[in-house]
Amino acid sequence: MALMPKRVKHRKQQRGNAKGNATRGQTVSFGDFGLQTTQMGWITARQLEAGRVSATHYLHREGRVYIRVFPDKPASSTPLETRMGKGKGETKDWVAVVKPGTVLFEIGGTDEETARSALRLIAHKMPVRCRMVGRRPAI
Amino acid sequence: MAVMKARHREQFGSRKMRKLRAGGEVPAIIYGHGDEPEPITVSEHDVALAILHGERLLELKLGRKSQHALIKEIQWDTFGQEVLHMDLARVRLDERVEVAVPVTLHGTPVGVSEDGGTLQQYAAEVNIECLVTAIPDDVSVTVNDMGVGDTLHAGDLDLPEGAKLLDDAETAICSVTYIAEEEPAAEEVEGAEAAVEPEVIGEQAEEPAGEGEGTADETSGESG
Repeated sequence: MALMPKRVKHRKQQRGNAKGNATRGQTVSFGDFGLQTTQMGWITARQLEAGRVSATHYLHREGRVYIRVFPDKPASSTPLETRMGKGKGETKDWVAVVKPGTVLFEIGGTDEETARSALRLIAHKMPVRCRMVGRRPAI
Repeated sequence: MAVMKARHREQFGSRKMRKLRAGGEVPAIIYGHGDEPEPITVSEHDVALAILHGERLLELKLGRKSQHALIKEIQWDTFGQEVLHMDLARVRLDERVEVAVPVTLHGTPVGVSEDGGTLQQYAAEVNIECLVTAIPDDVSVTVNDMGVGDTLHAGDLDLPEGAKLLDDAETAICSVTYIAEEEPAAEEVEGAEAAVEPEVIGEQAEEPAGEGEGTADETSGESG
């Protein structure tokens, strides 16, 4: 089931721009390993769902997958074969805006090799470059 | 205990700290025991080694004097690769301190190997109070005997001698549970999902009249 908000204040949003690196959500908090983005981007609910499905299928109930971002921004687009103008297009996707450093997914309850393979599968579904990270030293 | 050379720091501000870090130094501050906080710099290499070896207690050689310090906090950059700043607290070697220690689970629970459950760890670390010279690297637990539905609490952990648990004894550390199967009919529902739109808060009052949605549909049809 694709993620989207239950209630919104406005039907459409301006696109905005995301500058700089992530200052929150950049550490592994729930699982043991995480997938951290190194680029800014919009990740659609479908891409998140595709990543989640591939990881849960690969893990086969061995571990747990956590999604750390939520697609709360409506991304609108003009339909195909339509002339320009006539107002803003309808919402096509719900996206999560991510900045470099944001942890997108986490995996817990499994060994590093399995987690690495599952995160690699997720990374192939993402529109941004990603890298695997572990927990930071507990000091 | 790692021995680290430190220098008194008289520079402040983000731009100067950036230059400092580029020169292989890490800004830090040492405070506690009623003395004035003292800004210092330490070598980036020494800090990396201390973190690699899990050292928490340092012997700081600051000028001619030597003092013991406990690493209280480390600030990292966004990607967790570079140490930006360190907080150090002055300690005596006979002092008891409060620290967070990672919990390491060993073994495979019976509920996982035989019953097909999944081991889930809820707390990655626990807060304990112990002698500063006896801070454990981690708190190890063997989970071989755990079956499905069993939960390990913080009170069940075997802490090192002299250590006292600061967290609530009922805090869940890990448990063995079943993870629900994925619903196979997810693809069929997708078409229906696309039509569903979230409720717009401002338009809630217009819904009973039945005009709000109608006009919205008409305008969207024209624009398409």
